[in-house]
Amino acid sequence: MLRVTQLTKTFRSGDTEVYAASNITFEVPKGQFASVIGRSGSGKSTLLSLLGALDKPTSGEIIVDGQDLTKLHDHQLISYRCKTIGFIFQNYNLVPNLTAIENVMLPMEFAGMPKKQRKARAIDLLNQVGLQDDKQLRKPGRLSGGEQQRVAIARALANKPKLILADEPTGNLDSTTGKMIFDLLHGLSRSEGTTIIAVTHDLSIAGKTDATFTLQDGKLVSDAR
Amino acid sequence: MNVFTRGMRNAFRNGVRTGSIVLILGLSIGLSLTMLVAHRAVGQKIASVKSSIGDTVSVTPAGVNGFEGGGNPLTSTQINQISSLAHITSVSSSINDRLTTSSTNLVSAIDAGSLGRRFFGNANGSGGDNFGGFGGGGTSNAVPVFTPPVTALGTTDPTMLNGSTIALKSGKQISGTADTAVALIGSSLAAKNNLTVGSTFTAYGATITVTGIFDTGTDFSNNTVIFPLSTLQRLSNQTGDVTSATVTVDTLSNVSSVVSAIKSKLGPAADVTSSEASATTALAPLQSVQNVSLYSLIGAIIAGGVIILLTMVMIVRERKREIGVAKAIGASNIRVISEFVVESFTLTILGAIIGLLIGVIGGQPVTKTLVKNSSTPSDTSMSMPAPGANGFERASGSRMGGGSFRNFARGVRNNSAIKGLDNINAEIGWSILLDGFGAAILIAAVGSTLAAGMIAKVRPSEVMRVE
Repeated sequence: MLRVTQLTKTFRSGDTEVYAASNITFEVPKGQFASVIGRSGSGKSTLLSLLGALDKPTSGEIIVDGQDLTKLHDHQLISYRCKTIGFIFQNYNLVPNLTAIENVMLPMEFAGMPKKQRKARAIDLLNQVGLQDDKQLRKPGRLSGGEQQRVAIARALANKPKLILADEPTGNLDSTTGKMIFDLLHGLSRSEGTTIIAVTHDLSIAGKTDATFTLQDGKLVSDAR
Repeated sequence: MNVFTRGMRNAFRNGVRTGSIVLILGLSIGLSLTMLVAHRAVGQKIASVKSSIGDTVSVTPAGVNGFEGGGNPLTSTQINQISSLAHITSVSSSINDRLTTSSTNLVSAIDAGSLGRRFFGNANGSGGDNFGGFGGGGTSNAVPVFTPPVTALGTTDPTMLNGSTIALKSGKQISGTADTAVALIGSSLAAKNNLTVGSTFTAYGATITVTGIFDTGTDFSNNTVIFPLSTLQRLSNQTGDVTSATVTVDTLSNVSSVVSAIKSKLGPAADVTSSEASATTALAPLQSVQNVSLYSLIGAIIAGGVIILLTMVMIVRERKREIGVAKAIGASNIRVISEFVVESFTLTILGAIIGLLIGVIGGQPVTKTLVKNSSTPSDTSMSMPAPGANGFERASGSRMGGGSFRNFARGVRNNSAIKGLDNINAEIGWSILLDGFGAAILIAAVGSTLAAGMIAKVRPSEVMRVE
């Protein structure tokens, strides 16, 4: 499903070149739930940006479902972000003036799905992630952190992506809610066959995933399966 | 929900801010519209005045002003030279004379009155200087009785008198180019002498038939006899002489060049004047209002554009992360930009509605105030001469005169459009509303451009930045 080969990303900081990711190579089969751990600045978020085609690598290869991201044009990358992957962010990143349903409908609109179908699917997804009916019409500001993350998960699932990339999905949640969200993601990977890669600090969560990659100074130092 | 509705909803995210922006934008668009109304109204007035003044040039012998002054008359040869100049469509020539009791059996319809006596003769009949000859006095010891003369006009264009078209009350027009013993006479002169169409009178010893009776609305002009040019030239022993010519130019824009060409052709022998100079002076305040309104219009549109531009830049900076999220979940640049463009248009259209209201309410009074404040009292003052009076001409008895420039200047001064320069009707029609709306669209488009550029530059990885 996902194969990363010799992936490198460098930034220039003054006269020096900083390696945010250095020669990373790993593979994640379809339907697996993998976690990426490491200290702050170890390159976890950079790796996620590269996998999500939010940023372009300096060198290396990223093959997702047979497609080499490094060789895609900009418009193909937009389509990749829209249809092949789903993003879950630490701070949810919901659009504040849209309701929960409208937030979930957004990626489906970008994918060109008709309005009736996207509304029905949004309601269905919000029910799946356990957001009560009365809260589905609320704007993010009137939802708790856990509820917002549920909406974010529903949004990530909207276009039935093959890969979900989660950046600290439980980072802003209390432990109970965090566990609920983790279980939700884990269940989805099992039921939908979706590959999930989650960046986390929480070792207890990382320990429950199918694979754990440890990054240090931009390098992959451990691949535990 | 789609890009359109989302963009519109985004415009109302912050009610207070939206209200303030819309209000400021409304004032700017309102000012633009008000200035557009003023600019159009003043422009229409200027065009109407220019077109009503006409495209004519007056040529008179140098040194003559009405029946005053001196100099030598122009000749038919000189007039023919003028006719062949470029941009001239027609030339009408005329000669003026005065019929006295010794040269006609007509009795003047104008009483000398105190003005005539003051200018040209004493109340007791003495000292009527060199004009006394028109009265009944014969010797230097006799008490002269001053009688105003009858004005005789010989012209190739008998439809015009003193720069105005005459209205025939009865009878028919005469040909200005044929040498026939016919004439048109003014209504008061006809009444005074009991003349009707077909009646005859004597002038210069010839019998003249009245072909038509006209009315100009003034006692002085109605005391005139209009002959064909050749007829008056022959009868008054002025064959080949012309005391004034009116040249019609093909377009108003060529008037200045034609004036120069005639001056060059005739040299110092003639005074060449056009109504353009008088009109330019009279219209100067309106031109100034038009310029002020144009600059204000441009300024207000720029201000509106800058307001919406800065607003959109601020909004884009504020929502940078949101833009990143949209791009990260599959939105294209065009889709995100469209959303912000709709937001920009929503704000601008709301501002335009307020602006249109301001324009509708303020257009007329602002225009009137601008025009009023720019006009000098002399621009709009009107004189009301006594009946029969016309400068120093009313009861004078000079031998000859050009009169054309005086008539010409009088034509400009009396032009109804010039008189009512401050009477401007600033109406807001559909075309102005559409132009105002167009300006609002322009403002929104200008305001969106920089924002669009900024949006295009926002990288989707922006979303990963943790604040």
